Amino acid sequence: MKPESPETEAGSAEGLISDPSSLKPGDRVVYPNQGVCRVTGADVQEIAGQKLELVRMVREEDGAAVLIPRAKVSSVGLRRVASRSYIEGVFHYLAAQSADPELDWKIRHRDNADRLVTGGVLGVAEVVKGLHSLSHIRPLPTKEREQYDSSRHLLVAEISASLGVPPSVAEDYVDYALMPPAGVTFKLKPPPRPVELPVRFARRKPVVKAEEELGLDDMGLELGELAELGEGAAAEEGGEKGEEAAGAEGAEGEAGAGTGEEAGQAPARAAPHAKARPAARKAAPAPKRAAPKKAARPEAKRARAAAKAAPRKAAPAKAARKAPRKPAKGGKR
Amino acid sequence: MIRIVTLAPYDAADLAWLGKTLYTAFGLGTEIAGERRPPASAELPGGRTDAEKLVQAAGAPRVVADDKILFLAAADLALPPGPLGEPPAWGFSQQGGERAVVSTRRLPARGSTEASVEAWRRRLARECIHFIGHLWELHHCYDPRCAMHPSWSPDLAPIPDAALCNFCREKSERKIRLAKT
Repeated sequence: MKPESPETEAGSAEGLISDPSSLKPGDRVVYPNQGVCRVTGADVQEIAGQKLELVRMVREEDGAAVLIPRAKVSSVGLRRVASRSYIEGVFHYLAAQSADPELDWKIRHRDNADRLVTGGVLGVAEVVKGLHSLSHIRPLPTKEREQYDSSRHLLVAEISASLGVPPSVAEDYVDYALMPPAGVTFKLKPPPRPVELPVRFARRKPVVKAEEELGLDDMGLELGELAELGEGAAAEEGGEKGEEAAGAEGAEGEAGAGTGEEAGQAPARAAPHAKARPAARKAAPAPKRAAPKKAARPEAKRARAAAKAAPRKAAPAKAARKAPRKPAKGGKR
Repeated sequence: MIRIVTLAPYDAADLAWLGKTLYTAFGLGTEIAGERRPPASAELPGGRTDAEKLVQAAGAPRVVADDKILFLAAADLALPPGPLGEPPAWGFSQQGGERAVVSTRRLPARGSTEASVEAWRRRLARECIHFIGHLWELHHCYDPRCAMHPSWSPDLAPIPDAALCNFCREKSERKIRLAKT
């Protein structure tokens, strides 16, 4: 079966242009991340020995010429300017109570970039609202401040084009919804359904090389041994959880967005512990005493057990190599 | 150059103070370009004034490229109502254009004490920086201490600062540097 491309998985934003022949001179379209453009005609150019049919457009903001190959019109996410009724829905979304912002900057940045490309005007509004609510928690870093500004620019331009009002008035509308004056309440309707973002395969780095990253070789330790050093009951629990986590990881490739997300969370949360530990270990001059303490932490144990599961046990050569060094730590019985 | 045109009588000392503050904010020369009559074509039936029409129709001095004209008016400005209603209009500006208007109607009472005059001037300067900022393509800012923060925001201090945040200041400087003249 042919795998679906991210574009088709992502669903489609309102007004997405799938047939380039429907574009006529004078049409107003939105090029994701570029803004509102006006189609001026078609063109044929020879580029690198190939004759390409191009759609010629002019960006309304500054008159810049934009050329898109006809074959790529749908894949770049070119769409019609949102309708007035859809824009009203966007305002109801902006004025609604915002969910907690995503605090992991990597996920947030990637999702926001996807929303700007595939999410349509509601996706742009999601970026503006998400970063706006995050700015209440802490000042935005420079890159996200720029992203906030550019997404606001795109949103204002499209609202202005759709409602036929000057951009500064469109911006007032946006902020009137986001930050209403004291005493103003709105009667809100359900907002439009947001476009689903592309499913990311292998969205988390699986913790399979935990032992090497931890630098346990230097200490003559193995993860399995550390788990055994802790409380017996906790070790058993860790084993069970590990199996679950391993199963979830295995299913990640097949699962949809919901399960993939959940499955992806577990290793991602474990990873910071794994990264932080070598530094701590280097700082600590007495590794023999430090190791059992860290092994006793239940969440670390679970993560290691998830990473180790069964396959690590079947590494006799490594174990044999390390065997002479084990008595030195004196922790294993 | 920022040219200030008044559409109502204002104290010369207030205008001089405003000119200095705008120079500090944007690094551009400021000129008090006299008083004009507000255009009758911008008046609306309820005694309000259409902000967009006022900016288009108000008489202005001759300008060269990249000059910005700021109108100071005492009228109650009106904006076209949006999907959630009409936002409060403290002014209006042609985003990336050359004309803006600020209304002093929503400002706190000027009074006659030194403190009240100072508060009035600072608020006026803040609104002027805000709408001239739109002329330099600045967008609203989430920082309540920045002059580009929406004028009606509940997060705004009672006497807000008449200055831009670092991001907005750098952006405006970049735009001014890239201007034609």
